[in-house]
Amino acid sequence: MRPFPRLADRSFPLAMGTLAIAAFALLVLPLATVAWVSFFEGKIISFPPSGYTLDWYRAAWEMPRFRDGLQTSLRVGLVATAVSLATGVPAALFLARTRFPGRAAIQSVLLGPLIVPGIVAGVALYMFMIETEIATGLQTAQTFGGLCLGHSLIALPWTVRLVTAQLVGMDRQAEEAAAVMGARPLTVFWRVTLPAIRPGLVAGGLFSFVISFVDLEKSLFLVGPGTTTLPIAIINYLEWSVDPTIAAVATAQIAVISAVMIVTDRFFKLTRAF
Amino acid sequence: MVEPGVQGVSLASDTAPPGSVRARLRPGPFPVLPVPALLLVGVGLILPLILIARYSLAEFDPADIALQGLTLENYAKFFGDPFYREVLGRTVAVAAVTTLCCLALGIPAAYAISRSPSAGRRSLLLLLAIVPLLMGNAVRVVGWMVLLSDGGVLNTLLMASGLREAPLRILYTSTAVIVSLVAVLLPFMVITLQSVFDRINPAFEEAAATLGAPPWTAFFRVFVPLAMPGIFSGGLLVFILGMNAYASPVLLGGPAFHMMAPMVYEQAIEAFNWPFASALAFILMAATLVLTLLSGRALEKRYGRL
Repeated sequence: MRPFPRLADRSFPLAMGTLAIAAFALLVLPLATVAWVSFFEGKIISFPPSGYTLDWYRAAWEMPRFRDGLQTSLRVGLVATAVSLATGVPAALFLARTRFPGRAAIQSVLLGPLIVPGIVAGVALYMFMIETEIATGLQTAQTFGGLCLGHSLIALPWTVRLVTAQLVGMDRQAEEAAAVMGARPLTVFWRVTLPAIRPGLVAGGLFSFVISFVDLEKSLFLVGPGTTTLPIAIINYLEWSVDPTIAAVATAQIAVISAVMIVTDRFFKLTRAF
Repeated sequence: MVEPGVQGVSLASDTAPPGSVRARLRPGPFPVLPVPALLLVGVGLILPLILIARYSLAEFDPADIALQGLTLENYAKFFGDPFYREVLGRTVAVAAVTTLCCLALGIPAAYAISRSPSAGRRSLLLLLAIVPLLMGNAVRVVGWMVLLSDGGVLNTLLMASGLREAPLRILYTSTAVIVSLVAVLLPFMVITLQSVFDRINPAFEEAAATLGAPPWTAFFRVFVPLAMPGIFSGGLLVFILGMNAYASPVLLGGPAFHMMAPMVYEQAIEAFNWPFASALAFILMAATLVLTLLSGRALEKRYGRL
């Protein structure tokens, strides 16, 4: 039945192992390459490099488009995080604690921004903003406020998901005890519920920030003069040239995200977030 | 210190009917809690989608962007012109090939995570899958441009090893788009598969091996059928994201490589043809939906309800 048992036995782990290594290489290679190239001496990327330098980081910082892009991205990220938490936490509380027929429908609506493709949602929001402006004179397209609206929207499902998961897994006895002892509902919420779901809150907030910070598809339609985000500045530059300067900018973005993720991981294991 | 507690309990029994601890736990009237979030999604997503649904049926007048007329002309223009049909075909083909490659690489990777001999290796491999996902597409596309360009890492290695005389043209071809899309979407596949693989008891594979099944047979006849729901949802997710890809086709495919998502952007922002851009967006969503439903039906026939 098994003509070459030894061969067969070894070919399976060998093939699976090789493919798994190829998969992880595909994930890590581009990031490692970007970081490596950002230190190359020559302006034209060639391998192996003639030498190494830190000059490109200074050059990138001196280009207003990247410095402004970084600032815009950080500011939008903070606003999106705040809005996502302020609207998402009450919604999560509702989803985790209520049983009524419309609950599933509300949940699908709130997770909608995760399901509708970024380009479709982006073009729709852009046209809606222009139409609103024509109707009311209120300018939102290509403004900081409009950008924040779009980013809050894509951050919201992450807060809702992570905080709901934390609430569902929470032991409610402490809340009941506090209520029995005479704490008013709002006191129970501030002093018992919120501290108990802190890991979910921190993870929801930090994920909101990261999702906003790296967003491309939504921002494409929402950025304007003076409100260009860092990823948009990166891809605009890439249409003209690939050089160590852009690698330095990309490496800076990698550094920002890594820092946020290291903080996140201390409160909420990243591997549990998906 | 006993006093406040006692007072609290008596207070509770004074003001609320018996057995109402749960009622008191309710932090305010519940139904208003999701309202701010629903407003955000309503204004930011649902109303805009309704608007473009209407726009996709409007007449296009280059001199006036205001919404006017009611026509199916935009959809007719798309399906009547071989150029646009080809773009849709290419989008589907790229997404399908990407999904197959992601399965071929993602199943072994998720299997390696799920059947890790130690907890340390397990979390390291999982982080290797999650971290690139959160870095964003822009950064990873920079990496692929450096790797695949004429003077890039791959061509330098090919020429140094004597395998090629002249650089192999990869950047600005469909190969480059697919390679980078596979890499960009692989984390979604690995994370989805891994969570399903974790729930499959290794005893099944061991039982198959004990009963004499060679590893490949045990894998394809026992493990894969058990993992089918995960393989299906991972494949679906990657296919949907592949259909809607923007950064990879634009930057690695070059100006002559057309896919649906970049065309939506061009029509809306560069050509100012809002009715046609809206129709494209709806065709893209509908094609994605129809293909996922069809593949779901086909897989259910083969493997039973998923």
